Amino acid sequence: MLTISSLSKSFAGQLALDRVDLEVQQGEVHALVGQNGSGKSTLIKVLAGYHQPDDGASATMHDAPLELGSAVAAHAAGIRFVHQDLGLVLELSGIENLMLGRSYPVGLGGRIRWSAAREQAQALVERAGLTIDVRRPVGELGLADRTGLAIARALPDASLGSALVVLDEPTAALPNTDVERLFETVRHLREAGNSILIVSHHLEEIFEISDRITVLRDGKKVATTDAASADADSLVRMMVGHDLVVSGGRTAGQRDEADVVLDLADVAGGTVHGVTAQVRKGEVLGVAGLTGSGREELAAIVTGRLPRTGVVRVAGTEIVAGSPSAGLKAGLALVPGERARYGIFSNFNVRENLTLGSLGRHTFKGRLARRSEAREVQEYISSMGVVTRGPEAPITSLSGGNQQKVLVARALRLDPAVLVLDDPTAGIDVKARDQVHTIVEAAVDGGMSVLLASTDSGELARLSDRVLVLRQGRVVRELVRGADLSAAAIDQAQVAAPLLELPSELRPAAP
Amino acid sequence: MLRNSQPQTVAGEADVVSTPAGTRPASAASPRQPLSLILGRYSAVFLWIGFLILFGILKPDIFLTVSTFRLTFGEGVVTAVLALAFLVPLAAGTYDLSVGALMGLSLCLINWFSLNTDLPIAVVCLIAVAVCCASGVLSGVLVVRFRVNSLIATLGVSQVLSAVTLKISDNRQVIGKFDGTFEKMGSSNVLGVPVVVALLLVLAVVVWAVLEHTPVGRHLFAVGGNPEAARLAGLPTSKLVYGSFVASAGIAALAGIVYSMRVGAYSAEAGPGLLFPALAAVFFGASQFSGRPNVWGTLVAYFALAFGIKGLQLAFGPGTFWIQPLFQGAALLIAVALASRQITQTRKSRRAQAAQATAA
Repeated sequence: MLTISSLSKSFAGQLALDRVDLEVQQGEVHALVGQNGSGKSTLIKVLAGYHQPDDGASATMHDAPLELGSAVAAHAAGIRFVHQDLGLVLELSGIENLMLGRSYPVGLGGRIRWSAAREQAQALVERAGLTIDVRRPVGELGLADRTGLAIARALPDASLGSALVVLDEPTAALPNTDVERLFETVRHLREAGNSILIVSHHLEEIFEISDRITVLRDGKKVATTDAASADADSLVRMMVGHDLVVSGGRTAGQRDEADVVLDLADVAGGTVHGVTAQVRKGEVLGVAGLTGSGREELAAIVTGRLPRTGVVRVAGTEIVAGSPSAGLKAGLALVPGERARYGIFSNFNVRENLTLGSLGRHTFKGRLARRSEAREVQEYISSMGVVTRGPEAPITSLSGGNQQKVLVARALRLDPAVLVLDDPTAGIDVKARDQVHTIVEAAVDGGMSVLLASTDSGELARLSDRVLVLRQGRVVRELVRGADLSAAAIDQAQVAAPLLELPSELRPAAP
Repeated sequence: MLRNSQPQTVAGEADVVSTPAGTRPASAASPRQPLSLILGRYSAVFLWIGFLILFGILKPDIFLTVSTFRLTFGEGVVTAVLALAFLVPLAAGTYDLSVGALMGLSLCLINWFSLNTDLPIAVVCLIAVAVCCASGVLSGVLVVRFRVNSLIATLGVSQVLSAVTLKISDNRQVIGKFDGTFEKMGSSNVLGVPVVVALLLVLAVVVWAVLEHTPVGRHLFAVGGNPEAARLAGLPTSKLVYGSFVASAGIAALAGIVYSMRVGAYSAEAGPGLLFPALAAVFFGASQFSGRPNVWGTLVAYFALAFGIKGLQLAFGPGTFWIQPLFQGAALLIAVALASRQITQTRKSRRAQAAQATAA
């Protein structure tokens, strides 16, 4: 269906793609894997027309020549994209989002026939196997539904014939049941004769969904292999170029049972309906849960981005609700989820991003000493293995995983008593993920406590001493290291946890 | 340039954020900057030099004289101070359109008090600054507490201030009775430089030092870049916005003081009429040097244009009064357009470089 040959792309003289060939057949799910910086995203962006390829590349789609680097040509050839950031307009309703790029059914005088538009939108959503209210603003939907909506929007009209749908990291922030739903959609599309090019870091998912796999490393194609004949180990070897050392989980240290550093008492707000938990010194408390369980909002509620009720105490000090700075003063630091939105200052360079929040140690008589600041930042760059040109490089020139390391460094240099991590490795590659985990483990060994909310069961199993499983905004299970804590157990507990007996005030009133 | 200060309002920011490997133009540290980008970053400097050469050739006897320089700098001081007033909140991603009206109010108060009371001029100036700062607090309340968009809030405040000024002045010129020293300061020189220009320089150095070399400045730019992330990083975002409005109002009051030194009397046109030239200088200046709102870019941009206008007036006579808004408007548009083009230019030149690299 699609063939690309000898595609190169360079930024500032640095090759991001080096003569890459790719072939996607009709009716197959083709996975594109590789670490961050391997060139996956660049390849997708060239295909989407966002970047221009270097000279020498050629491509065909349905055996007709395809102009690379042209959004119009890609669209006309039936190539559709769902990017990691989904590209939805959160303020608009599902209907309006779905109709972007489509023409509205209009009545007299150009008036939009909203009922017809709604039916059309509903049909699109159903094609993707979703049940959501298309009238609601997209911003009110959870991440899983947003992803589904973005795919529904990308689906080309059936009349166009078979299409190629490109999914860039579609499962990055999705819990497992939602991933399964997404894959049903993908299989459905494949059965209709379409091809799917999927980019993902989750190898299990890749094996589950894809027919063939292309591996990129350092901008070069390593191999294209049948999914059936490959195994995870060989794939990881191809991706990283050497055997990956997988830590078998932290060894639980001596913990003082009395030394509670973070104390949550009946904390509620948003989708969280009342969580009580304690984190002791040097302990990692994991929080798991499906989308909508409260897991995605807990970190924001505890650290003050979102309002809450209940009591949060850090080392005995009660924290005012809704005030991140009060939390920070008491030693509660956060690495926020949704990096670009809540963490990164795109107008700042690496140095300015890393040191924000605590400039005091570089301020002499009121004056900020940039040189001493840059020295400290350089130390973090070296010790954390941040891949960047240096402290003065724009933060946006770093890959997602390296931006994340900068945010972890920003939080750690505050020397917090408790570090709250909100899905810290979503959408970053295996190597960077491993590095982030190692950094966190080192800090915990130094006596720091961690509250880790994550969609990544492997991550929870590796780092946590205990994992709380949330459902309907409440803790329904607690898994403890040594007894029943494993990635599989977390997955199972999230799905299989019993529905709660609703408290009387939430029950429908008796007639 | 606006991109840097107000990402949330400008489409395309998301693209910039997700762009990999250095397609961003603001990489002042990159050794591989294309020539066109460097030219763009210093376009105001080149423009200034160009005007000096052009009118130096056309009118060497009157243009390239100490008195013309003193005059042009002296005339521009008030607007330049006003531009610095607008610059401070802009660093925090906030617009303060009330700076023109604040300057008018300050000027009116100084003249009214010196006409109707026997207070020493220093006290009168302090009163003007205090009243303006109070208005800055009001803008802060509207923007921070009531979450009114800063453009709308300060536009409204600006009209209210105009009403207050009209009431005090009774819609007439107010000519204060200043003691000699005050007006003398407006027309005398120190070390060959007009006192008012020296005052501007001192103010500029202070604003520059605060914005670029203190934690407060860093925090202001952080709020301008990503307010929610700034709050999560523990910055006192509300205080910073309040502070920037108060600072801006205080500097606008200084513009009124400088104007009364130079000209003296209050008239209704002073103040609001200078708002646009000040804004144009800040926005033009934000495309210069660091690529975000900055003090020296603002001043260079303003005086480059001022010298161009002065040259045209000297070369073509008094009939060219219309040239000033044309010049400032055109320069603003061209500067912003160039700043937007930098992204595509960077991409193109990098592609060319890469092609060379592969060929080699």
